[in-house]
Amino acid sequence: MEEKLEKQRETEKREDIGQQEETERKEETEKEEKKINSQREVLEAAMLAGHILLENGAEIFRVEETMDRICGYYGVHSESAFVLSNGIFTTAGSQNEQLFAKVAHIPVKGAQLQKVAAVNQLSREIVKGKYTLDEVMEKLNQIRSMPDKPKHMQVLASGLGSASFCFLFGGSLADSAAAFVTGCLLYLYVIYVSAPHLSKIVGNIGGGALVCLLCILEATIIPGLHLNFMVIGSVMPLIPGVAFTNGIRDIADGDYIAGTVRLLDALLVFLSIAAGVGFIINLYDKLAGGMLL
Amino acid sequence: MIGELIAAALGTMAFALLFGVPAKYYPYCGLIGAAGWLVYSLLFQIGQVFSEPSAVFLATVLVILMSRLFAVRERCPVTIFLICGIFPLVPGAGIYWTAYHLVMNEVELASETGFAAVKSAVAIVLGIVFVFEIPQKFFGFARKKHIE
Repeated sequence: MEEKLEKQRETEKREDIGQQEETERKEETEKEEKKINSQREVLEAAMLAGHILLENGAEIFRVEETMDRICGYYGVHSESAFVLSNGIFTTAGSQNEQLFAKVAHIPVKGAQLQKVAAVNQLSREIVKGKYTLDEVMEKLNQIRSMPDKPKHMQVLASGLGSASFCFLFGGSLADSAAAFVTGCLLYLYVIYVSAPHLSKIVGNIGGGALVCLLCILEATIIPGLHLNFMVIGSVMPLIPGVAFTNGIRDIADGDYIAGTVRLLDALLVFLSIAAGVGFIINLYDKLAGGMLL
Repeated sequence: MIGELIAAALGTMAFALLFGVPAKYYPYCGLIGAAGWLVYSLLFQIGQVFSEPSAVFLATVLVILMSRLFAVRERCPVTIFLICGIFPLVPGAGIYWTAYHLVMNEVELASETGFAAVKSAVAIVLGIVFVFEIPQKFFGFARKKHIE
């Protein structure tokens, strides 16, 4: 009897130990999974930050640096990112870190520099240790859905910019007033027609043509205006300043592919504007004998 | 002259709004735009000591120095000031005249103005490339004392 009891106890003990081991093992796998999950979250957060930066006109090296910074701070050291002007390739994985790979295609959009500034500020604060990962995700989503400047403000700014540059390049005050009107109308066209519906080439040819047409109209109605200065000032809102300066800076940093693509983008827009303006001038010259030219 | 400076500042600030720059940085953008134009017109249009590309180059150098200084001071990306501040120096007029002469079949004038525009653009490129070679530490003195 006693032997039997002892045996029973022993088996019970063994089972206990087995169970303990099992729970330990479970805990370990849970820990591992948690680690993998959090690693995944870190990389997702870094990717989102990179996405916002690239989409809104940041330089390539800033995108790479920010992603490295976020990953490094949250303990993912094997991350490496390859950034082009319209895509990000990220991988991670080493002996102690899980494999992770993601590619994001990021179409070129209008620049919103406030978002670049906000992400930059966030990455500084992350390094200071102000946020948990969940808070970072939340912040990034907030930044992403930041509203653009209101449309009427954009239209007025375009008019003001046109008028200022018309004056700067030698126009009179009357020319500037006319350029203000043209600039406002041009931006209405950009917001409601060109940006949502037209390709870059056609949109900018149309924009250049529209500016030239409006200026000829104004110059015909009001005598004494200088057509040239008005057109020069009014096409300024179309000039691809972000693509041009970022392209140069990317090439200077050694990011040749992204830089070339951005410069090509800028060149294409320049040529399209010139083609639009040239087309209308030519037409006007043929039809009206170029009274104003 | 003063009118031109105001126009340069206003124009730069208008473009700052179009590119979504935070409102608190508008004054910096305006200041940079006006300073760039001041150097350009002093050297090229009024003084006539420099050729157009070298005046554009020196103006670009100033624009970028100021942009980097303000970027360090405000702890924000330099792009914000740079993209808007460079606008008055972009050879918009040159591009227009090139297109104009091209469609009017004045090939000689077209190539002349086109070449001048390209030279100015190259001057801007060189200005940007050179000033970004200066290490970031050099601008450390402009850092705002941080209050927390």
